[in-house]
Amino acid sequence: MEELLFGIGISAIAGALATVSGAAEDTESDIGSQGDPNSQVQLAPQMGYIHRIYSKAISGEPPAYGLWCALGAGLAWALMAINYNPVLAIILGSAIAVFVQGVYATTAYLGRTASLAKFEQPVYVDLLKSVTTVTMAHAFVAIFTCVTMCFLMVNALGHPFPLPLMGLVWGIALGAAGSATGNPFYGKERQYQSQQFGAGVPISASGNIVRYAEAGQRSSLDNGWFTSKLGGPASGLCFGLIVFFELWRTIFFEEFAAGWGAVIAGVVLILIFMIIDRYIEVWARKTYGPYTEEKAEAAETAEEAA
Amino acid sequence: MSALGGAAAGGEGMTPVGIVVGIVLLIAALGAMYFISPGFAFMSLVFVVVGGLLIGFGVHFVPVGGAPAAMGQAPGIATGVTMLAAGAGLAGLFGGAWAAELGFGVALAGGAIGGGLMMAITCLMVNIIYVWGMGVPAASGKVAKDPITGDTFEAYKSQGTEGHGLPFISYVGGVIGGCLGGLGGTLIYVELLGVYEHFLPATLGAAEADIIPIAVGIAGIIAVGMFLVNAVIAAYNITGTIEGPHDPKFKRFPRAIVGCAVASAICGLFAIILAVM
Amino acid sequence: MSVEITASEGGMPHNKVLAIGLIGAIVCLYLTYVNTYLPQPIFSFFGGLAAVLALWWGTDTIKHLCSYGLGTGVPSAGMIALGSGVIAMILGSKLSIMGFVSTPLIVPIGTVIIAAILGIILGFISDKIVNMNIPVLMVSLAELCMVGAITIMGLAAMATGSFVFMDLVTGNITLFGIEMVDYNASFIGGGVIAVVFMLGGIGVQHAFNACLGPNESQDRTLMLAAECGFLSMITVSIISFAFVSFLAAVLSFIVSVLGWVYTYRKYFELSKRDAFMWLDAKPIREKEA
Repeated sequence: MEELLFGIGISAIAGALATVSGAAEDTESDIGSQGDPNSQVQLAPQMGYIHRIYSKAISGEPPAYGLWCALGAGLAWALMAINYNPVLAIILGSAIAVFVQGVYATTAYLGRTASLAKFEQPVYVDLLKSVTTVTMAHAFVAIFTCVTMCFLMVNALGHPFPLPLMGLVWGIALGAAGSATGNPFYGKERQYQSQQFGAGVPISASGNIVRYAEAGQRSSLDNGWFTSKLGGPASGLCFGLIVFFELWRTIFFEEFAAGWGAVIAGVVLILIFMIIDRYIEVWARKTYGPYTEEKAEAAETAEEAA
Repeated sequence: MSALGGAAAGGEGMTPVGIVVGIVLLIAALGAMYFISPGFAFMSLVFVVVGGLLIGFGVHFVPVGGAPAAMGQAPGIATGVTMLAAGAGLAGLFGGAWAAELGFGVALAGGAIGGGLMMAITCLMVNIIYVWGMGVPAASGKVAKDPITGDTFEAYKSQGTEGHGLPFISYVGGVIGGCLGGLGGTLIYVELLGVYEHFLPATLGAAEADIIPIAVGIAGIIAVGMFLVNAVIAAYNITGTIEGPHDPKFKRFPRAIVGCAVASAICGLFAIILAVM
Repeated sequence: MSVEITASEGGMPHNKVLAIGLIGAIVCLYLTYVNTYLPQPIFSFFGGLAAVLALWWGTDTIKHLCSYGLGTGVPSAGMIALGSGVIAMILGSKLSIMGFVSTPLIVPIGTVIIAAILGIILGFISDKIVNMNIPVLMVSLAELCMVGAITIMGLAAMATGSFVFMDLVTGNITLFGIEMVDYNASFIGGGVIAVVFMLGGIGVQHAFNACLGPNESQDRTLMLAAECGFLSMITVSIISFAFVSFLAAVLSFIVSVLGWVYTYRKYFELSKRDAFMWLDAKPIREKEA
């Protein structure tokens, strides 16, 4: 009984850490403009729109976060192996991982922008000085919470994977969850703020991102405020739910039916989420309605008229 | 990353030379394994091949929209194919590895459900963002009606776009893709773990209980490596974006199955040889 | 509506980069073997230099491959390189105890050969079975697999002082003053190979991915590749404190930091040379209509 309570308690704290991690990850990737929405930032000068956005072109978020979290976890593991206190080891490991992330961010911005010289996009050095440290700060929160979560899974819950491998696995999952949830929000609502709400961006508007905004010229720094309105918390909720349910269903249900209890619990959870999703989809169709008249109705009226 | 880059160079259909040589390689790998160490190791290689082709097949179900999806111009999830599949598969591998000591069937089921659960939650949150954060309903660009629910999409696509969000068929596709990816990855891991726990004590001259960390470490990283190789081959087959099982591109999956089977056979052969020889 | 992926012409021919990278990396790997004759493993940092050369070579391979129209993904090329490379590397590191030749000297060259075979098969699958139809895909994937294997082996040698399987799986811990063998505290058993895997995975594709564009120039891209390599060396040298002696680890750290500072500054200069304008706190410079 005590073990069960301990396990559920650890799941809860791991879920909370994961939520913070996901929120910080999405905010960081929006401040630095990483991943798929960044392709619009790169396209803009080609279409004639010069900008002052920090274009951090480091692959996508999943492999990048796989690296930062594996690095943080690996360094923490190494420091613990030479008898550093675990908390200090995780902090130092995350700090060194964040240094690496910062360096990659600067080289990515310089590389892409210098290679766009043909389209007359200048390199704004003050962006390097002001935005880099902000992305690093958010990345530190994401990496530290993720590595701590992995540490708890290995040491408190007894998962067989070693800490660095756990960091790799959850780093990639963190990047995937945060990227999937947060990218459309940043891509359409922020970069194409001037387009009408309630419709996708038409292909003809590609590259015409917002460059002049709330207070003069848009800086990537302001994306942090924006992301924390919906994209960040949603990504955090996504990753937090994933981690929490993954741990909780295993710890709570594993004794039943020789392990199959956890599997059945998982199936039930998937069905519940599927039903919620279907409800949301139907709600959207009913509340928002179609953009144009349905073709079936048009055909009926054509028949009546004939 | 799919707004980048010019025409993808893939052709349609399968080249007969490719298929024949591929099948020859597959049989050669299995034959070599049988010759070197029949029995346990051979069966493990067969299962590793099955795991690899499950991964390759599963990647085709996951709805990926790439950069246009990030602007609400195309349906699907706005991440790369390889990495989204890797995220789901590895989350499944986490669950499967944890249940590995409870038995073969439970571990596989745990892995599959882990991957499926991650995709279920991710796809749900994606739809929440599209509906409430962006104000667009889900609509597919490739079919007029949803095969499962019968929803019509033509009128629900905003002007100038090819659809947006995750229609129900894409959602179901995502969950199935996550399940197959987690299943395949866990199968590879469990088989390799079994081989290493069986053969490494003799090679290293240590007790079986002691070498478990080594077995877990090698099996874990090779499972991740093979997962990525199979996912990349499947991604090359898809050439960028796919809406899910209803997308016409889905019909290309036989090529990926053959490709992933051969790749997993060779990689698995090397991975198992390192323990038995 | 897509950003142009173009690779620049001119510069060092790819075969020359291949030759320098491959031979240089193998020589550096063999130099780490000198550790067995030294009281402390102070030649470990040569493993890191092997990784830097491999990443430098691999970047040019990815650029060469993308100039033929790979299209769908530069990061994927990095992932497949490392995914196949790690299998080749672990198998290769075990060659000396498999019973054919018992000297560890066979390990580096054997690993490269295994990686080449694995890479050619994967390239054949991608080109002919999945029908990517890119002429250089087979050779490029073979090169990338070799790059992946050498990177992991080099960084493993830098972290632990050796590239043989037995040294990578056995670690030492001291319990009450007695040194005991502990598989948990080893490079592979402790999972540190996952860190090296990802360092290589991001490092090999970052340089070309970041310098992508119409004004990409080879010297800048390759300088960035070297910088990524030295940055990876810094982190691995910190990890090596857990495996090798204090002096060896400090030496690795100093070499890595010096190399990184040099390549990072050169990269800044080259970016300044290539950029359209280098502005500090200036407003958006709208294009003249």
